[in-house]
Amino acid sequence: MKKRILLVFMLVILSVFVFANGAKEEPAASTETVQSSFQVTEWEIPFLNCLTGPIASIGEYLEWGAERAAWEINQAGGINGVPVKVTGIDTAMSPETGTVEMAKLAKNALVVMGPVPEPVILAAVPIAVRAGLYSFTATTSYEYAAKFFPWAISWFSPTEEKLPPVVTAWAKKNPDMKNVVQFVENYGAWPGMAKAHEIGLEKAGVTVLNQVDVPSDAVTFGPLVVKALSQNPDGIVFAANAEKVAKLILELQSRGWEDNSKLLVFSSADDGALYTTGGDNLNGVMIYNYVDPDLDTQRWKEFRAAFKADHDGMEPFSLSPNYYDAVYMIKRAIEETGITGDPAMLKEERIKIRDYCNNIQNFEGLMFNWSNKDGVPQDKPLFLFKIENGKKVLVEKVVPSNK
Amino acid sequence: MSLPLYYFLAITAVYILMTWALYLPYRVAHLHFIVVANMAISGYFGGYAAINWNWPFLLILAVGLILGAVVAFIVSIAIGDAPTFAVVIVGFTFIYITKTVIENWEALGSTMGMFGIPMVNHVLLVAYLFVLVTGFFIYRFDNSRLGRAASAIFVNRELATSFGVNTKHLGMFLQTWAGAIGGATGVLYAFIMNSLFPDFFTFHIIGITMTMLFLGGYTTMWGPLLAAPVLWGLPLLLPQEVASWKMIIYGVLLIVILLVRPEGAITRQVAARVRSIVLRR
Repeated sequence: MKKRILLVFMLVILSVFVFANGAKEEPAASTETVQSSFQVTEWEIPFLNCLTGPIASIGEYLEWGAERAAWEINQAGGINGVPVKVTGIDTAMSPETGTVEMAKLAKNALVVMGPVPEPVILAAVPIAVRAGLYSFTATTSYEYAAKFFPWAISWFSPTEEKLPPVVTAWAKKNPDMKNVVQFVENYGAWPGMAKAHEIGLEKAGVTVLNQVDVPSDAVTFGPLVVKALSQNPDGIVFAANAEKVAKLILELQSRGWEDNSKLLVFSSADDGALYTTGGDNLNGVMIYNYVDPDLDTQRWKEFRAAFKADHDGMEPFSLSPNYYDAVYMIKRAIEETGITGDPAMLKEERIKIRDYCNNIQNFEGLMFNWSNKDGVPQDKPLFLFKIENGKKVLVEKVVPSNK
Repeated sequence: MSLPLYYFLAITAVYILMTWALYLPYRVAHLHFIVVANMAISGYFGGYAAINWNWPFLLILAVGLILGAVVAFIVSIAIGDAPTFAVVIVGFTFIYITKTVIENWEALGSTMGMFGIPMVNHVLLVAYLFVLVTGFFIYRFDNSRLGRAASAIFVNRELATSFGVNTKHLGMFLQTWAGAIGGATGVLYAFIMNSLFPDFFTFHIIGITMTMLFLGGYTTMWGPLLAAPVLWGLPLLLPQEVASWKMIIYGVLLIVILLVRPEGAITRQVAARVRSIVLRR
């Protein structure tokens, strides 16, 4: 009796292998350049994003930026006269879901935006690389995209090149600041960013004290703040998630910290939770990021006004323009390289987009123009701000040279 | 086979195995979350051995399994017959320690993660063969004297002891076995994903596998086998707008099942009924 049950069980499992000879590569399209009479009716750009789960708020404004770009492009006549559509795909920050969703795109997508964030990138981008599908991992740090070069691109240059100058600039604004401590949360590229901060501080002649690790699941911040203050710092850098940074600042102030200009918040904490949790207590705190809200261009003003209208008056966050720019970069790549969208030429056209974007020249981004050299953005500026009443007031624009 | 189906089946195998790894110690009322740490340790070991030592996949799988068993055995010496709550706390602590070690170990990629684990052929085949072999042994165990002893411990530990059941040895055995499954699954996972990230091995794995165990049914091995593909596959098939509510759907399902069928969808009675239908044919 038991044997029959076992037999059924074994048959069910083994039946999987009637079909499962491993994942087969799709047949390679011809790489010869041929004229196509194919007429695409819509450019669909899939966006592997996190629309639910722990970073859904970030995913929402990334999606908003991408859809805003698509809307603008369609208002202006589309890409080569054909409308574009951004399709948000929710991975809910699950690496497993990310793999299956990327696998669905591997066969037919011309290009993919995302995934977001790093756990999903690590799980899903290897599938895209094997399929020869170019991924716009626009919000991750250079170090992640570089692992998948030339099949993934970041919006950022190497961390140890881009961050030190802005931290040095902050330190020089406070010449009496001699000892600085960092709060660092061990997540993804953040420890690497903290190391880059140290380089900038040392360049300014500031002594870097022992960093204070912020546990990912921290709920009380008193002991962490006491640990930092026991080293008698006269300046503090924060490399942790937005809500934790706000709570650390509140805790510091409750223990007598007064000079907010000697507190520097890193770019990844420039998120709604920082301002809603920190409120007016953030007045005077310094923050660096990649977006200057007071930029005086018509395009930016319209983007900013639309963002504020859709987000209860909140300013666009640090990463808001990234996927907006990504859609425009795809548009330019399609138009400049004569991409047809013909499925028969998919492999060839994917490579065209990849090669064009990895070395795009003088791309007109929302905030500024830039060029890429082998996937590395050149001379992108960073902005140092002072927070005043929930708004960022520009203190200095810093352009790290990486040519 | 299409690529999405390949990944769906591969991850289904991972979930089945991890849910069984939870199921086994739960036979003696131990919620043994250390299996997630076993998964991480062996997964990272496997990735490191493949990238830096060029070890063959099957050797890595075997060593990963043994590594999982050894780690679980050492811990089981202390918690083999501990109360459920203590086992849970030790499990959480062990996951936290493992994650912290990985995050601070440069050779394992620290917080950046581990890249470039090579693709190997027939991972899916090996994964399902492992499911088959594991399922076979669990089936044999469930229908053995040891299995009945485990059921006795689940119902009343003191009573089982008075019948002469060595609760500590049986607890240690099941925890070690579960650790071995967790370890081997970690290696399979590493070779399916081709990259590893510390956050892969956190509480979301516990949440998903616990839901699979309790929804599918924790009194037989068939529950996880049914629940894993259904619960994992459902959101992939649902329209995007509905799939976004996945966690809420899981939560509601779990509450409903716990209220209506506390033993889960596949109980021993259901399994017996299915068995009798199969045998009649």
